[in-house]
Amino acid sequence: MSDHTPGNHNQTAQGAGPGTMKPGFHNTDGQGIAGHGSFFQATDLAREDAIKATDWVRKHVDRRTIDLGDRMDDAREHMYELEKDGQIIIHRIGEQHEPVTVKTLFGWDKQIPTKQLWHHKSCGQCGNIPGYPTSLLWLMNGFGFVPGKDYLDETDQTSCTAWNYHGSGIGNVESLAAVFLRNFHQAYVSGKQHGHELGHFFPLVHCGTSFGNYKEIRKYLIESAELREKVTKILGKLGRLVDGKLVIPEEIIHYSEWVHVMRNRIASELQTIDVSNIRTTAHVACHYYKMVHEDAIYDPDVLGGNRTAIITSTAKALGAQVIDYSTWYDCCGFGFRHIISEREFTRSFTMDRKIRVVREEANADVLLTNDTGCVTTMDKNQWIGKAHEQNFQVPIMAEVQFAALACGADPLKIVQLQWHASPCEDLVEKMGISWSEAKKHFQAYLKEVEAGNIEYLYNPELAYGGKV
Amino acid sequence: MQQIFDDIRGDFRYDHELNGCLNCGICTATCPSAQFYDYSPREIVQLLWTENVEQIYDAMQEKIWACAQCMTCAARCPFKNSPGGLVAIMREVAIKHEMQSAKDVLRPFGRVMLKLITTGNQLSPDMIQPDHFPDWGPNIQKVEGDLRILRKAIPVKTLQTVETAWEVSLKTSVEMYTIWEMTGVLKSLELMDENLFDVIEDFIDEKREDYEEWLEEQEEDDGA
Ligand code: SF4
Ligand code: SF4
Repeated sequence: MSDHTPGNHNQTAQGAGPGTMKPGFHNTDGQGIAGHGSFFQATDLAREDAIKATDWVRKHVDRRTIDLGDRMDDAREHMYELEKDGQIIIHRIGEQHEPVTVKTLFGWDKQIPTKQLWHHKSCGQCGNIPGYPTSLLWLMNGFGFVPGKDYLDETDQTSCTAWNYHGSGIGNVESLAAVFLRNFHQAYVSGKQHGHELGHFFPLVHCGTSFGNYKEIRKYLIESAELREKVTKILGKLGRLVDGKLVIPEEIIHYSEWVHVMRNRIASELQTIDVSNIRTTAHVACHYYKMVHEDAIYDPDVLGGNRTAIITSTAKALGAQVIDYSTWYDCCGFGFRHIISEREFTRSFTMDRKIRVVREEANADVLLTNDTGCVTTMDKNQWIGKAHEQNFQVPIMAEVQFAALACGADPLKIVQLQWHASPCEDLVEKMGISWSEAKKHFQAYLKEVEAGNIEYLYNPELAYGGKV
Repeated sequence: MQQIFDDIRGDFRYDHELNGCLNCGICTATCPSAQFYDYSPREIVQLLWTENVEQIYDAMQEKIWACAQCMTCAARCPFKNSPGGLVAIMREVAIKHEMQSAKDVLRPFGRVMLKLITTGNQLSPDMIQPDHFPDWGPNIQKVEGDLRILRKAIPVKTLQTVETAWEVSLKTSVEMYTIWEMTGVLKSLELMDENLFDVIEDFIDEKREDYEEWLEEQEEDDGA
């Protein structure tokens, strides 16, 4: 019988004893453990001590709270120094942004502004899953936010262009940095046009890839004087310096972080639908928490702080069931280039490693995620799965769409579920909302749209710099 | 070949992404691409670490394009290496050296590049049609209807577009073209796909003219 006590398993696991090593491994003294070298000795810890040691490792190493001083720099510290030196201007988060402080993976504080936000859109989301941004704006309106004062959605922004970079390698750090600084300069000055001070609106990044990319680029920018010099020339040519300096935001904020800090208010002030019968699973975007991972939000009250809090925290606050599954750590299979030209990889990965597991292990009613690429990949590839006898289906949507549904948003007019290929109808029905009624209303509304009677979440003139 | 390696090593990110390697294989164990291709992030790191120039060149012929850029490896590596980040550098260098592998691999990605470089958006509603993605099924929308009207039914003005993900102002696009030029992105594109480059250049010229005209109109209006 094998003993699975932590620390002791090497002594008893079959095939790991002396003389059973794979060819090529040396086991000169008979004490080495396969692959570790002959100097390696088993600890011989007593069961209790072994458990204690393992728990310590889980707590400190899994959560990466160890050795931070030496191993990891806080980019923000360097930014403050550069600012003091008169080299850059930091777009700061102030009282007016009504920030909430949260903890990141390394226990650092991060401020999440809740108001006066500049919506930095995602090309994948807007092009493909428009219910993402509409649900977010709808929730903000639900809190009584005034468009043009408490948030701004405008046409003066480009995509971060990181999808192309990660997919093709065409692009470079300099171009990514210039795009980042251009967009965020616009966020910094955008308030002016609407009668506010500089820095009134703080950028809220909708896309996971933009979020990861911007944080990475910000790090390079503050570390490399050469890069700063190069992009200063470009930004100068574009007329996008302030007092001759680059503007860099104090924090890079992802929309799911806004949802996370607002979750209890969403549940207590806006929620109208009981979702306690809904089984949710979470897939957190790789570029949210694996890229520049020190900055991702972890909360000890959410899964013991062993995973990033994003998404799960919102599902919990809404009162939904949160179900775990074994491949939570896997990526969705998007792969940037792969979703376009290596579709077999993307489909197989998403079906085998995500959808099947979420269906079979968790029997989930919905898989919630927080990035464009993940929704697209996991949503769109279910149909072709059938041709490969992969007959599992799970509705896929962003947590913000799920939150909007729980707050009574129209599944088609607001949450825009008509663009999703996965079977969202059952979930909506299970939440007690009639899909067929909603569809009927929506089809009637399309006739109105055709006649030019369009409903907006905010005055459309604002998008072009007009007044509220 | 040596030049290719020197270019990789000369990238200022190189020391960020490679700190040594324990050969522990955690990166490969968690790598989605390693499960599907003859590809291993650990191998990439080892190749660079041991400076085997020939094998590095070989890996750039095909393997590096397998990486999905998810950065799972980077989050997991106990040495704080980023095999995915190294792959990004190697791809840029492959393009700089006009490697055939890069040209072959990137050809099907051309449509996305075209969209991005000309409009600043990478994905647009008109790209997500059944004829472009037959494997996404016949009903990739749950409501029948004209795409233009369906987009107009989104209650956000900036999203009521078909050829771009959101409406991008002309000035913004023109600023982006300046970035492409000044950072050498258009140059890399020309190296990779001359035809695509020509199409894009025409488009950019046209947009710039439109912008100039618009500026002149504004001036006239102001003068009047
Ligand atoms: S970034 Fe590339 S190498 Fe790293 S885990 Fe993802 S696919 Fe593998
Ligand atoms: S996880 Fe890091 S140390 Fe381990 S093999 Fe991969 S690169 Fe090397």
